[in-house]
Amino acid sequence: MTAKASQYIESPQSASHGKWPVRRLTGAGANAVLGTGQHPSGGVLDIFSARKDRAASHEELVGRIANSHDRAAFAELFAYYAPRLKSYLKALGLGDEKAEDLAQEVMVTLWRKAEKFDPAKARLSTWLFRVARNRFIDHTRRQKYAEVDVDDHLTQMVASDETDAPAMQNQNAIRVKAALKVLKPAQREVIELSFFKELSHSEIATKLSLPLGTVKSRIRIAFGALRKELRDMA
Amino acid sequence: MTKTGLLPDEWLVSYASGALSEAQALVVASHVDYHEELKAKVADAEAIGGCLLEGIVPERLSEDALERTLAALAVLDDAAEALVEPVGSSVADIRMPAPLAAHLNMGLDELKWRFMGPGMRQVKLQAYENGERLWLLRARGGTEMPFHDHRGTEFTLVLTGSYRVGDKHYTPGLIELAGPEVTNHQPIIDEGEDCICLVVTDAPIKLHSLIGRMFQPFIGL
Repeated sequence: MTAKASQYIESPQSASHGKWPVRRLTGAGANAVLGTGQHPSGGVLDIFSARKDRAASHEELVGRIANSHDRAAFAELFAYYAPRLKSYLKALGLGDEKAEDLAQEVMVTLWRKAEKFDPAKARLSTWLFRVARNRFIDHTRRQKYAEVDVDDHLTQMVASDETDAPAMQNQNAIRVKAALKVLKPAQREVIELSFFKELSHSEIATKLSLPLGTVKSRIRIAFGALRKELRDMA
Repeated sequence: MTKTGLLPDEWLVSYASGALSEAQALVVASHVDYHEELKAKVADAEAIGGCLLEGIVPERLSEDALERTLAALAVLDDAAEALVEPVGSSVADIRMPAPLAAHLNMGLDELKWRFMGPGMRQVKLQAYENGERLWLLRARGGTEMPFHDHRGTEFTLVLTGSYRVGDKHYTPGLIELAGPEVTNHQPIIDEGEDCICLVVTDAPIKLHSLIGRMFQPFIGL
């Protein structure tokens, strides 16, 4: 069984070409979403070129929100994350409008809880991922997803050198894509079905017509490989 | 399971990705709360989620999305004085991991424990639409649980006391994961304090003895 290439993650080589987002090549604005141009709100969407010369890391921008309710800092984070949160929420199955609503809610949560965000403990993308995941589950399943405070654990994948944070972050997005490429397509597939479809082990087994044990071992191996890759970087 | 009583990585990944049911998420989060090494793994799995989020092909927003969000912030700022942050659970029952304490919002002794069988009491916490049940089991030290088979996946997290199944020993913070392949399952509670466990079952367990089967409709397993 061969797994098809990811429909979600940009390829490091072809990020600026229209190879991946086929599902959005219809209707108006198709040329505005390929991750190359200026976004209407002013942010540059291509993470491979845009963030290298940023003065402030995302984590520093959150600090400005916490300290002085800095709307410009918020707008910059919004330009980067809101389109990605919307994309994640659509991948999970929400319609366009609802996905945008929840993406906005997640960003509002960031505004409200900026003081509680501690860059020494977690990356902003991790923090936003958790909020979006929980908000989606709350919205679609009317359930509260139990949370556990894992950030009191200190040996995590956070950028170690503060001054180098922006480059680090850009690096990280590139590395995760490189790491995903290192995974065999079959391993990558189970990771994407877990994170972008929230499928359980048995649902993945049914979908891919695989024994349950195979699905579990693929997830374990894929996780081990990604973890090693990201830890080596941090 | 590689190490007795610690959940294998695929469950931590499913927790982090949001793929677990509500009951499973609660028992997994509670289990993770006991172990630094599992916290580190969950943090990493969530960081992978964050990286996937950064790497996803962005979606186009409607033109006024930022404007509308900024307007919402202005309203929030005006109401900031009135904003009351939800407080965490005030329950200080040290026998409970934080996720369970937040869920129950009361101590173990305040719950209504019901007779379940000789030496055993239970609290049914929730029955879910998907067939899962979340409950607490409290067994006196020395109790031999009835023999049973499993039809679905069962998670048992030890909160107090301890028990043995064959040569495996489960103490507080350890979890026993039993699938349909597990037959003739007979946990034996260690002598001493009550063994309290948080349990998630996704299909009725099958008791062997006639008396067990007679009890089953009442105990609701």
